[in-house]
Amino acid sequence: MPRPLPRREFLATAAAALGPFGCERAADRSQTQVALWFSYGGRNREVLEGLVRRYNAVQAQDRVQAVFQGDYFEGLAKLRIALAAGTPPSLTHVVSEVVPYLENAGVLEPLAPYEGASTLDVLPAFRQEQAFRGAPPGLCALPFNRSTPIAYLNRSLFDRAQLEPPRTWAEVRDVARAFTRRGGESRHGFGCPIDWWFWVALVEQAGGSVVEPDGRISLGDEAGVAALEFWQGLARERLMKVPTGRDYNAWEQINQDFLAGRVAMIWSTTAFVRYLEDNARFPVRAAPLPAGVRRAVPTGGTHWVIPKAASAPEKAAAWRFLRFMLEPPQVVDWATSTGYIPVTQAAVNALSERGYYRVHPNDAVALEQLTVASPWPWSIRLFRVAREIVQPRLERVVFAGADARRELAEARALCATEFA
Amino acid sequence: MKPSRAYDPYWMLLPTLGFLLVFFLFPLALLAKTSLFDWDLLSEPRFVGLENYRALLRSGELWSSLWTTLSISVVVVLASMAAGLALAIALDRPGRFVAFVRSAVFSAYLLSWVSVALLFLWLLDADVGIFARTFHALGWTSPRWLGDPAFAPWAIAAVTVWKITGYALVLFLAGLQDTPQSVLEAAELDGATPFERFCNVTWPILQPTTLFVATTSLIASFQMFDVVRVMTQGGPVRSTSVLVYAIYEQLFLDLRVGRASAEALVFVVVLLALTVGELWLFRRSEA
Repeated sequence: MPRPLPRREFLATAAAALGPFGCERAADRSQTQVALWFSYGGRNREVLEGLVRRYNAVQAQDRVQAVFQGDYFEGLAKLRIALAAGTPPSLTHVVSEVVPYLENAGVLEPLAPYEGASTLDVLPAFRQEQAFRGAPPGLCALPFNRSTPIAYLNRSLFDRAQLEPPRTWAEVRDVARAFTRRGGESRHGFGCPIDWWFWVALVEQAGGSVVEPDGRISLGDEAGVAALEFWQGLARERLMKVPTGRDYNAWEQINQDFLAGRVAMIWSTTAFVRYLEDNARFPVRAAPLPAGVRRAVPTGGTHWVIPKAASAPEKAAAWRFLRFMLEPPQVVDWATSTGYIPVTQAAVNALSERGYYRVHPNDAVALEQLTVASPWPWSIRLFRVAREIVQPRLERVVFAGADARRELAEARALCATEFA
Repeated sequence: MKPSRAYDPYWMLLPTLGFLLVFFLFPLALLAKTSLFDWDLLSEPRFVGLENYRALLRSGELWSSLWTTLSISVVVVLASMAAGLALAIALDRPGRFVAFVRSAVFSAYLLSWVSVALLFLWLLDADVGIFARTFHALGWTSPRWLGDPAFAPWAIAAVTVWKITGYALVLFLAGLQDTPQSVLEAAELDGATPFERFCNVTWPILQPTTLFVATTSLIASFQMFDVVRVMTQGGPVRSTSVLVYAIYEQLFLDLRVGRASAEALVFVVVLLALTVGELWLFRRSEA
């Protein structure tokens, strides 16, 4: 029978075991601790954690601790709870649609007064005043992982069929039909998550706008109907693989279908360029989204924000970290390791000068699409409109065959009453 | 036993009462209060009276979630009990193979919900899943099991039945093995057929077990979350949005604390009604 450990001996052993941590904590006291909450999974998470390690290694003033908080929506929920509890992180990132909501709630730190804020060389499309239509003056968010939707093609199939990436909606339909196979080894020509983001792209391409310049939530009027009927037709003919599940589960599923060769072409985010290239057993080609009556895409991804309720030293340290992250080496590493768009002009120049885009043309697709990117309206209700009113109706039309016009008319009426 | 002082039992109940007060009654009261406010955790809570309940009724979400939960639960309870009872009768005999089958069926119950959900996500894939391939082999078009609102709730119910049938099997087996052999033998001597023996002897003896299995399965299916979270996230078109998932969605995704609280309170009331009904049935069967 083992001898019971006497209390004194137990305490001595415990103290010895905890000693190294104690020493580290003592050393850390001189540093400002920065709690960074993030929502990147998989490869993107590894890249971010690598950049955080680099920051912690190159300076001694601050120590950034990156903590994973689930997907964007789960991260946002935890941020709100932390804000309500008075224990916010020093730094986090949120999707575009909720920036106006958080700013309106007065929980975001104004960043303009911080040193160097006015000289950041962020790409014009990602500057706050251009990324949001009607944004109030000031700066409350900085871009880091920004994206646009793009098309991914199974190049083996396209080369064999001698087909080019579709440039119009009609060509999308033709390509989808050309690659769709029924029966045992079935394949869909096209696949896309039934998600608000891609529908907004279609609405813009059809010449509409989800929110009109006067603030009216039009959901694109006729363009919204055309966009939804385009999807509905493809799904009804079973030319489009409609992934089950919602939110990012559907995105992940369409990735897996593409990688397994079950779908010849998908729409997804540029954030998956590297992931899909590395994991596909066939060459992957990225292409811009097609045009309806015009070319257009929304931007996606997230913005860094510093909660106002964080302590002053933490906020200053978070700002120093943000400056570091917007330096060309970090922006370049982040973009080239993931597929996100480099957000500063200096980083784009550096990549162009070294011929990166010639070797990696897939990375240039989203960057080129920025020329036709539409800004998001500065609306504190947009994310509610998307989640509560529009998204269920998109599903109802595509999955259950409901009438697109009636559903969108109902959605518009609801927007007018619920968000008057 | 009579206590020496009349209030002694109450002192002894205090720890349990304290626990119930702190962890059940206080949160419940808080829930009731929050359900009367419009609150997103960021801005100041705004008193709106019963508006959250009205909004839930107006949008149809409350009825739809309640109906989805009830429909799935009824199917799950009836199917898992029927399958569990049938298997228990078939497997209530000695033998290594029978013991292996019993263990195999029960092993599904021991798996985590997330693993089961991920497994069935692939099995139910509309293109390459085993069911879709069987349909294709027969020359039929496979339904989109998880992508069609008409099929998705039943697919979720079927997965749940597969998972919990082992639980019903074990309890029914225990019930069957408690059945006095002498009564069964007496019935046999009286000329009762196997079916008559089951209807007139076994089934009445299994009543308390049946009630217990029904109640626990019903509560388990009412609390269904993981399988929905992994397989469908409440979709398509909210067809699998059971009450617990709807509450999660209101709170964590739609950022509406008041409506989530209102929905949670309705959930508590429904569960309470079901429990009272079960108690009533239990007492009646004992009487």
